[in-house]
Amino acid sequence: MLRGLKRKSIFLGSAFVAMFFLCSGEVFSQSLEQEATVEENIPTEEGLTVKFVNTDLEGAADALAHAPSYTVNLQMQDRSFPNGGGSVSEVEVRGVHNGETIFFGINWSDATENDRAIKHEQFRDAVGLMFPIEIVKISPETPFSPRMGDRGKIVNIWHWKADWERDLRADGGYEHMEDQYPDMFTDFDFDPNPVLINKKAHEGADLMSGGYAAGSLLSQARGRSVEDLNAVGFGTLTAQEHQDVDGAGAWVDGRWEVIVYRPLSTPDANDVQFVPGKSTFFNMAVWNGEDGDRNGLKSVSIRWRPITLEAAE
Amino acid sequence: MTLVHNWHLGRTMEYPYFESRPEHQFAAVFNINRCIACQTCTMAHKSTWTYSKGQEYMWWNNVETKPYGGYPQHWDQKILQMLWDNGNNPMEWYTGAEDKDETTAPYGLYNGDTIFELAQNKGLNQVAVGYIPDDKEWRFPNIYEDTAASEKTNYETKAAAESSELPVHKRWFFYLQRICNHCTYPACLAACPRKAIYKRKEDGIVLIDQKRCRGYRKCVEQCPYKKPMYRGETRMSEKCIACYPRVEGKDPVTKGRRMEARCMAACVGKIRMNGLLTGDYKKPDPKNPLDWLVHVHKVALPLYPQFGTEPNVYYIPPRWAPRSYLRQMFGPGVDEALDKYASPSRTLMAVLALFRASQTMIARFEVEDGPKIYESEVMGKKVEVYNDTAIGFASDGTEIVRVKIEEPTWESDEKRMVTY
Ligand code: SF4
Ligand code: SF4
Repeated sequence: MLRGLKRKSIFLGSAFVAMFFLCSGEVFSQSLEQEATVEENIPTEEGLTVKFVNTDLEGAADALAHAPSYTVNLQMQDRSFPNGGGSVSEVEVRGVHNGETIFFGINWSDATENDRAIKHEQFRDAVGLMFPIEIVKISPETPFSPRMGDRGKIVNIWHWKADWERDLRADGGYEHMEDQYPDMFTDFDFDPNPVLINKKAHEGADLMSGGYAAGSLLSQARGRSVEDLNAVGFGTLTAQEHQDVDGAGAWVDGRWEVIVYRPLSTPDANDVQFVPGKSTFFNMAVWNGEDGDRNGLKSVSIRWRPITLEAAE
Repeated sequence: MTLVHNWHLGRTMEYPYFESRPEHQFAAVFNINRCIACQTCTMAHKSTWTYSKGQEYMWWNNVETKPYGGYPQHWDQKILQMLWDNGNNPMEWYTGAEDKDETTAPYGLYNGDTIFELAQNKGLNQVAVGYIPDDKEWRFPNIYEDTAASEKTNYETKAAAESSELPVHKRWFFYLQRICNHCTYPACLAACPRKAIYKRKEDGIVLIDQKRCRGYRKCVEQCPYKKPMYRGETRMSEKCIACYPRVEGKDPVTKGRRMEARCMAACVGKIRMNGLLTGDYKKPDPKNPLDWLVHVHKVALPLYPQFGTEPNVYYIPPRWAPRSYLRQMFGPGVDEALDKYASPSRTLMAVLALFRASQTMIARFEVEDGPKIYESEVMGKKVEVYNDTAIGFASDGTEIVRVKIEEPTWESDEKRMVTY
């Protein structure tokens, strides 16, 4: 078979040269992605209604508890490498707004609480909400990829992370190696005062800084548990310069209960803007850290769902 | 997937991106025969790049004892097992004359699966097979140090009766020096769903962009050599950066000329030569010492070519280890390489003399003839040694170093030989 392949390559080689000239100047990569199907561009009939409630941050949880819930069915992400996920079959979402801020209450069943990503084999639980940043019409004739958007079709993603939530509770708002490895300064050390000496030596050296130097939100205290991001297709997810979304979450008896909120409108051109009385679309994804979910390994809703904000009174 | 040519395998193979070779390729030749496992390279690396929190377990350079040692533990056995279990002509090579080509298939034709092809054949939802080593596997960088393998257990053998002789020792181990291979077809780069990993056009160095990385650990999972590592402190992955500021000539010591990486320049055993290969493997420069060792003389071989990433650190295999083990590790080029190393040519002697002779990268070498100084027979072959002079030049043409084959020695004055 491979002797054949060897010969085949001579032919293909010249085909590639031809293709290269056709595409010259372009940054050229072969993605392992499939286009969104026709069905995927048909939004669901039913969607989420965001009630107007005269409440504030304090009362939001209560208001959400009384709001009607909408169940979003999820499935394995199977379009873009690496594929995977699918262990969470549904997520429940509720929404309210007070004319200024929009609140989402999200909950889903997860038997394990994965809220750290310090060890090699630790992955976090997370949930994402995705919106087109502009008011769009979505149909098979006017497609808008439900999978991370597309070139020229930007999406705004709000990503709550269980480990960021835990970071908020840590000293200095960020968990360090010693939170995962409390004995890291004393292992294999018979010095009578090891903690002091090794910790000092460790902290006395200037940091080889990697992610800190790059200014990544992942690598430092950021004072929030939700990340505000944009994407224009697979692999393009990028944190915004200006972070506008907040939230809080807790794992109680095998369920994650998460609240995510943001002002209805912001001055940031990269943000979705909500107008009471108007509709847009949303999509959701849930990551199950216990299963090794991260990036494209996730449970996703696929079809866009309408989201309508009640007019403010 | 597209088809790209991998000259280590002597054939095209599947890879997610088009073939795009750099103008020059960061590369090194490690002469395993000379390594004393002093770990100076390892510490040179550590004290330069990974002395901070979250990097405690990271050794971008490590030296392990084969066959039992490994960092992370069992890394190569695990990947080999995957390739083997596939059953699709596992790790089979064709080495007949018709399967070889001087430049495009010097070792023959590999007929098994690469890590990329295996993932496809298995229908996996990722570009290459792999796994993420856990804490236990990372924790002992030098486990089984100096532990020898033998056909029999120590209990069964008697030391004197089992004395070892070349060509193959009955009891054996050797040191394997490992850094990131800055592969031509990096699996780490292919695995990254964010395209946060890139290979530089100018020197082929493979880097993780710390602004784009989101700590998904796909590179950790799919690099078969296990050289990207996750840093829990920053929640993202890091890997060997080939000391790129030195390679770019930013270190004032070499006056703007390209400089060898830290682990290379520190090597006490003088086993390492670091430099740039010509980007086009079909047109090697016979005056470039690395091109000459790898492409022209073929005495230095890739580590596990069957993985399919076309790694760019090349090894002169150890003379005393069992050939079958070495063929599995370095491919079918082992026998030719060892024949050449056991009775070295004048050019090989000269190039070997340039190993660690300077920390400026040697881009070109010349040999000036000297008189014959020694003659012997090794494994039935005549070996002649000439006191030639090897001269190394930097890429700007400046002469950097000049060494004679015979190392100069001095005898002390008898009066100074005081015994107490
Ligand atoms: S050795 Fe691993 S980390 Fe280095 S370039 Fe190759 S695949 Fe990437
Ligand atoms: S410094 Fe050189 S001799 Fe010492 S362990 Fe490293 S490669 Fe071997």
